[in-house]
Formats: sequence, C-alpha cells, structure tokens
Amino acid sequence: MKGILLAAICCLFNEAVMAEPSSLVAWTPDTLNRLKKGNAEHGKELSGTCAGCHNETNANPQLDGQLPTYIYKQLVDYKNGNRKDPTTAMNGLASTLSDQDMTDVSAWYGQQAPIQGKGGGNDTTGIVFKGDGKRMEPSCSSCHGYSGQGEKVDTPRLAGQKADYLEKTLLAYKSGVRGNDIYSRMRLIASKLSDQEIKQLADYYSKLD
Amino acid sequence: MNPSSWISKIRSCLNLFEQDIEIENLEKKWLYVATIMVGFFVIVMGIGALVLNVNPPSHWETIDSASLHLSSEFAEDKLGVQPMALPDGTIQVQLVAARYGFYPREIVVPADQKIQFRMATLDVLHGAHIPMTNMSTMIVPGHVSEVTTVFPKPGEYPLLCNEYCGMGHDHMWSKVTVLSQDEWAALKTGGKQP
Repeated sequence: MKGILLAAICCLFNEAVMAEPSSLVAWTPDTLNRLKKGNAEHGKELSGTCAGCHNETNANPQLDGQLPTYIYKQLVDYKNGNRKDPTTAMNGLASTLSDQDMTDVSAWYGQQAPIQGKGGGNDTTGIVFKGDGKRMEPSCSSCHGYSGQGEKVDTPRLAGQKADYLEKTLLAYKSGVRGNDIYSRMRLIASKLSDQEIKQLADYYSKLD
Repeated sequence: MNPSSWISKIRSCLNLFEQDIEIENLEKKWLYVATIMVGFFVIVMGIGALVLNVNPPSHWETIDSASLHLSSEFAEDKLGVQPMALPDGTIQVQLVAARYGFYPREIVVPADQKIQFRMATLDVLHGAHIPMTNMSTMIVPGHVSEVTTVFPKPGEYPLLCNEYCGMGHDHMWSKVTVLSQDEWAALKTGGKQP
C-alpha cells in the first residue's frame, strides 16, 4: 500500500514538473487509421465555415490539397492551445469541433486538387536542395519533398502557398511565437535563417506549381 | 527432404570437387591457414562473449516511438545531459533521433568519466555514431538504445546518423563537445549546465 502511495505521489510530482509538450498529437496507428477513414462529405459541409477566411483573396493559408494529417494536427493544436492564433479566431473555432469533425474536414481538404503556384520560382538561397552544413541546416526538400509537395507523416505541402503566409510562419517559428513543432525541429531550422533568406524561400515555394 | 538425402547430396558435391577441380598444393596450404584462422577467431569471439561477457552494446527496453514527446523520459524539456549524475558518477544523456537530427542538437560532456547515452527514435531506424570513439549503436523504432562509454580525449565531435533514414540523412548530425575534467568542473561551478 505504502509503495502504491509513494508511486502515485512520484507520478503526480513528475506530471507537475513536466513542461507542457509542444503538441498532444501522437501518430499512433489508431490516429492514422482514423484519419484514413475520415468522412469527406461531412467535412465538405463543415468546410463552408473555413472557406469564409481560407480563400484566394485574404492573407490566410489555402488548404486545398494539404496533407490531412497536417490539417488535423493544426486543428488539435489550436483546440488545445499548443498553437495560438494571434486573432484567437482559430482557437475559438477549433474548440467547437469534435475529434470526428477535425478528422472529416481534414479528409475533405486532403482530397481537393492541390493549390498551384505561377511557376518561375528560383531558389536563390541554395538551402532548398542543399541545406547548409556549416549551420547544421538540413535542406527544405529533404522533409517537404522535392517539389514542396509535403511528406508523411505531417510535413506540410508548401508549393503554391501564399508567400506572405509562408514568410509570416517562418518568422513566427524563428521568434518562437509558433511552437507546436515537436522537439522544436522547425524552430531550430528557422532560427538559423536570416529574414532575407526567409523572404526568398517564401517566394520560391509560393511560385512552385 | 530427409537428412540422409541431404548427406548424399553433399557427398556427391564433395566427389565432384575432388574429381573436377585441381587445387595447387600452395593454394591448399593457404586454404588450411585461412580455415584455421577463421576457427581461431570464432573460438576467441566465443570465449569473449560467453566467458568474459564482451558483447556489442544492446539493451532490451521498449517505448512507444509515436508518442515519445509525451513520455516522461523523452519529453521535450527532459532531453540532453541530465543535471544529476547517477549514484556511481555516470552522467546520463537522453537523446532523441528524428529526421533529420539528434535532439538536443548540441551537448557538452566531460572526458574521463562514464557517459550513459539513452536514445530513442521518433520515426524510422537511425544509427548513432561518434567517429574516433567507440560510441556507436542503432536506434530502432519502439526501443530505447543504451550505450555507456568514456571519452578519453577532449574536443569537438560530430554525432552522425549511420543508418540511411531518408533524403536528409546526410544532414543528420549533431555536435558533441567533450571537455577536460578541469573545464567541466569550472562549467559546473561557474557556468550553466547545458
């Protein structure tokens, strides 16, 4: 009995001193299987609300053709407060969604034809394909794909995304305002980029088709 | 196929070998030398493993790789050189291997002191290797790899992934700085423990 009590106290203490993880999403087989079975039709109904802000005309990111795993993770992170929207709009919206809603809306956007850039992008930083060994900076393409199409499990598609949004996101990672990347992987990468490089990379990926 | 038919097959092969292939005497001698050497080293390895207990680093401990960041040991704020040494003075280092880096990206450890690395992977199979030292192991998804080593020489070392893990494999390395005992003591008293 004493041992159980002691273990319980230890557990409580351990929980208390542990800092909040950057995301509560874990890519367990259960979560991945659930995402595969998302109901896109129900997601389509829900996406009506999303389309009011996520469209071609405003500054918010476009979601068509984005990886369902990425959209789902962002929604869960918004709901749990791991990712904070400066306007709090996304935190408020996500908190009204159930886990099934988030799965379904992710499935819907994942099935749409991906957004396309205008073409003519040129990587002037040299980081997209080669990275920078001196700064321990891996190449963007090693995780985001050769054409910026995104990769399993939750590395987002970048090709064709709005340049302003990409720049804002990289700057948010760099300053630590955005911190829902597990083990700070994107924060570490962005912190080594200059603001100029961030602008160039955003421009490059926004033009990819 | 039963064992007797196997034996007869082997016999016929040996007969062919004797009939068809001529082996020079000198070549035969070297064949004997090579066979004896192989046998000798197998015996040495066997004695080493079974009697002297000299084995490659291995450690059977499982962990859920998918929720590594939610575990208590490999939580994001628990990684790196642990502030408290183990009772025998060994310094424990918790590392996570994930495409494409070891986290934390830079660690500082002392020379001439036992360092116990405990490593797990967030995604696929990785390797951990520090050149010019005997620190090398595989990091298998679902398992905790544990290696204990002593760095005799202070200096800066890369910690490399030596199992192909994807497109960014060649970028997967982190920095290990080994300090002399004096520098380490100064760091512990006057500096900030990394």
